[in-house]
Amino acid sequence: MVINDNKEKALSILSRGDGKLQVHLNSCVRCGLCAESCIFYLSTGEERYIPARKVDLVSSVYRRYNTITGKLVPGLVKARELDEVTVMEMVDLLYGSCTMCGRCTAHCSVGVDISYLVRVGRAMLAEMGKVPSTLQSTVDAAIRTGNNMGIPVDELIDTLEWLEEDLQDDVGDSSAAIPVNKSNVSILYTLNPREPKFFPLSISAMAKIFYAAGESWTLSTKMYDVTNYAYYSGNLNEAREIARRLRDVMYELNARTCVLAECGHGSRSFRWEGPNYLQSSYSFETITSVELISRYLKEGRIRLDKSLNKERVTLHDPCNLVRSGGIFEEQRFILENAVSDFVEMNPYGYDNYCCGGGGGQLAMSEYGDRRLKAGELKVKQIKNTGAIIVVTPCHNCVDQLMQLNQVYKMNVKIKTLAEVVADALIL
Amino acid sequence: MQWYILISLGALAICLLSCLYHFFRLVRYGAPKDFSHKLGNTGAAIKYSFTGAMSPLKKESAYLHLPTYSAGMFYHIGTFLTIIVFLLQLTVIRFPVVLTYIFAFILILSAISGTGILIKRIVVRRLRKLSCPDDYISNIMVTLFQFITAFLLTGLIYQSVYYIAAAILLLYIPVGKLRHLVYFFAARYQLGYFYGWRGSWPPSKKY
Ligand code: SF4
Ligand code: SF4
Repeated sequence: MVINDNKEKALSILSRGDGKLQVHLNSCVRCGLCAESCIFYLSTGEERYIPARKVDLVSSVYRRYNTITGKLVPGLVKARELDEVTVMEMVDLLYGSCTMCGRCTAHCSVGVDISYLVRVGRAMLAEMGKVPSTLQSTVDAAIRTGNNMGIPVDELIDTLEWLEEDLQDDVGDSSAAIPVNKSNVSILYTLNPREPKFFPLSISAMAKIFYAAGESWTLSTKMYDVTNYAYYSGNLNEAREIARRLRDVMYELNARTCVLAECGHGSRSFRWEGPNYLQSSYSFETITSVELISRYLKEGRIRLDKSLNKERVTLHDPCNLVRSGGIFEEQRFILENAVSDFVEMNPYGYDNYCCGGGGGQLAMSEYGDRRLKAGELKVKQIKNTGAIIVVTPCHNCVDQLMQLNQVYKMNVKIKTLAEVVADALIL
Repeated sequence: MQWYILISLGALAICLLSCLYHFFRLVRYGAPKDFSHKLGNTGAAIKYSFTGAMSPLKKESAYLHLPTYSAGMFYHIGTFLTIIVFLLQLTVIRFPVVLTYIFAFILILSAISGTGILIKRIVVRRLRKLSCPDDYISNIMVTLFQFITAFLLTGLIYQSVYYIAAAILLLYIPVGKLRHLVYFFAARYQLGYFYGWRGSWPPSKKY
């Protein structure tokens, strides 16, 4: 592995005059108490997976180039050169053994934002062209085709057309629609490209909810992808470009609210990171579909019969939606109304363990075994609930949970929130 | 004024200047800027960050490691006490004898806690691997200074030893991780602001 000329650019990230960055780079006291917060350490017992080791990788490079002690006596404070060995370790630990779930951050004894520093480290690696090729190809597809799976527009339209026919049959109304590219609507709805590709029923479920609520909504064929894998790769320019496209479609269609599909990192990257990538606030409202469904229920725009969902249900909270997105009560309120037997995992909510599929892990097949091992904890949590159905408002989590289901033979059904709501809808 | 007091005053000035440099550098960078639409209450979250979020009821690093957490709390109480004692030593204010002995007792306990933390760092493999010389030096210096302060309060050592030890510690603070004296508060503030902006902290009452 050769460190290219962009090493200086990578290092310049660490010397940015940004209070948050400087604070977190200087705060870790290496107490090691974050170890038990991390699924990678807990599932393997390997010391190198301790969150503090990931922090130290980034901050030791910072110390080497930005502090007097690090420059004069590097050995005293473990200040490291950004050399090939360091870069290789960074790639392995920051991409390959962190989902950026932020669980360690919330529990750090000092308050170091560990997942943020991992992201900073990834941004450095992205500057040096060290993003794993598997993850980069997902970003490339999004930049090139407008969605991370490279689905052609014709294929999407075909899928939406047969879903629309199904919807009309299901609700017994030939005017029921899945609108496309309509302007001046209340809602522009987004999709995770996994939906049209592999899980079209979740699109039907959401369309049925929109139908029941009498909503004015649309999808855009130009830009419907809620995901932003550049958030995970650390490439700021690409992340900005992806966020810009969705924002611009909102303006073009003059929609009032952008509703983000069930996707943890997609919600995070557009709602929370997007305006910062673009350095300007959105002039429209941005909410998740979880908040929207909860709103419909509270306003009486949809009604549910929970006796239609009799099997025991548990909830997997996507880290980006709950810990880093503040959405905690809404999904619980929905499930209390949509299912008869809801049971929490332990721990849950803000403390929930990551399923192992975040951080771009699902895209990086080279770390697949590690990812499945890291998911072991989630498997235990699920088994302890005795649930038959695991609901999660995130397509990435759905994908990881499905793989865990197969590997660890959990015998559960994995569903999105919209799917269980659609099953309980009273029309 | 004795030479050793002068030396410790010089060290105090250097330490303060360095801490102020770090503090004002952070102030100059300003409050966190965020272009997204705020969902929660940053003020309440910052308060929570310094209070509820630190409690052993909520913080995993505390409730899973109660002995270390308790030792750490004691150790830090002792550290703040040494600072207060040092600053008061430089004035004409003197404590009542009974208070001197209470302080000395607390300092002995905190220094024992610090020793325990040091032993843990040496003995536990995963901590040893994480550590660098600064971790050991910082701990040894602070712990020793707590013992020395306790001995000073009980009249067991010379003042010169105390002031020289204070000077060495003060000069070391800006060098390594002891700077977290400044950064700890900034980190809790930043984290509270972040979670507050997004509505994650303070956590829902239903949690
Ligand atoms: S708990 Fe926080 S301060 Fe302690 S080692 Fe982990 S990241 Fe560093
Ligand atoms: S962010 Fe999550 S996966 Fe990454 S180190 Fe922290 S706990 Fe582990």
